[in-house]
Amino acid sequence: MSIIQLFLDYASALVLPAILVGFPLYGMIRKVRVYEVFVEGAKDGFHVAVMIIPYVIAILFAIGMFRASGAMDFMTDLLRPVVGLIGIPAEVIPMGIVRPLTGSGSVGIILDMINQFGEDSIFVKMAATMFGSTETTFYVIAVYFGAINIRKTRHAVPAGLIADIFAMFAAVYVVLFLFG
Amino acid sequence: MLNYIWGGLIVLSLVFALTSDVNDFLNDTYRNDKPLPVTILLEDNFDAEARRQNVQVQILTKDLMTHYSDSVMTGDTWSGALLYTSAGRELRFAEDATLAEPLRTICDQTGQNDCRASVQGTPTSAQWQSTITFRPVRWVKMNAIAAAAIDFAQTAVTLALGLIGGLGLWMGLLKIAEASGMLQGLVRFTQPLIRPLFPKIPKDHPALGLIVLNLSANVLGMGNAATPLGVKAMQELQTLNETDDTATDPMVMLLAMNTASVQIMPPVTLVAIMGLQINQLFFSIVITTALSLIVGITAVKVLGRLKRYREVNS
Repeated sequence: MSIIQLFLDYASALVLPAILVGFPLYGMIRKVRVYEVFVEGAKDGFHVAVMIIPYVIAILFAIGMFRASGAMDFMTDLLRPVVGLIGIPAEVIPMGIVRPLTGSGSVGIILDMINQFGEDSIFVKMAATMFGSTETTFYVIAVYFGAINIRKTRHAVPAGLIADIFAMFAAVYVVLFLFG
Repeated sequence: MLNYIWGGLIVLSLVFALTSDVNDFLNDTYRNDKPLPVTILLEDNFDAEARRQNVQVQILTKDLMTHYSDSVMTGDTWSGALLYTSAGRELRFAEDATLAEPLRTICDQTGQNDCRASVQGTPTSAQWQSTITFRPVRWVKMNAIAAAAIDFAQTAVTLALGLIGGLGLWMGLLKIAEASGMLQGLVRFTQPLIRPLFPKIPKDHPALGLIVLNLSANVLGMGNAATPLGVKAMQELQTLNETDDTATDPMVMLLAMNTASVQIMPPVTLVAIMGLQINQLFFSIVITTALSLIVGITAVKVLGRLKRYREVNS
């Protein structure tokens, strides 16, 4: 483990308890009626969770149907020759397509790939790097914009997808550079 | 754009499902109503009149290959039961029987854990040569997309409701941070760093502090905390929004930074899957994340200037 990793490991273990205790403690010092204020704020949590439901349903059911229809295999076959030209192995294309759509789907793909190619394989490293370096774009959009009822998303989707596509390429090249 | 992608996903899934089902129909992939030769191995104390008898089913490789015109299938012997009902004799495969395609799909379609086929003829010897016919299988993918739609809609509600606890906890803590002046302190301290990316947020606005908290939680891989912090930041940004339902520049930027992911700690799920291998991937993930974050930010800035994406009120 490198020093940076060790530091981050400690930081992420200590930050949460520090906040959980620190915020109310500081509030008490500043004479805030902490309990009443906390409850006031926490009320909003329920409201937000209910508010995002329609948005998350809309996104997830469309993605679920798309996955179940077998369209993913077709797209992989379609993209295979195109991305092959720029050095992207066909084995990692499914990950590139699924990652922005669903988190559980991409976990499934990594597990499949480990079974198929073994943990040490360069393809698994590429897929894992893709997984670690991007987010489930459509779900994040549904939650963040759903919480404030934003329906016209402007350039959020194209910008997110550009970053995702770039991350797919970058993951392949970076892994090739480091391990290839 | 989201309208097109969303509509596209739905229409495409119908097109693909239909294509696949029509293809199955034309090729008769599942050999509907066509008998498959099998050998049923009866037990010593077999009684032809009994309602239920344990048996073994033997299907030969060459029979499977010719029946399904598939050169990679291999035959095997499976355990099951022979049922004798008013409808005639039926063969039920054991629940844990592992069947290869297309038998697996046929079984999934005829009923979960209840894979049956009708058996022709009456038992003759302990090694009874017979034929079985599965129930006809049609519209596999059409059924699958309909089931998936309902399934995922349910998942969406489970996911959203699962957020209530985390959202409540963080929103409560943040309210304390706001009331105690902590958030304002954080804003003053960090705004020189963060405001260049969000020039439209007024100076000293609490949204800046929440954005910093959201990004820090992301960096440390605390996904459970990052979502409520991001939502709260979005709520603050919404108070500055002059429209009701249109995203503002700072909102799109914050979203892009979250979807591109700014984390340095690998996500917990990935650590769980990869185990110690993750140490090797630490640097490849950090480098890729940094690069894609830069691209994401640039994309937001550049696309925001295009006519079709420009803010309504500016």
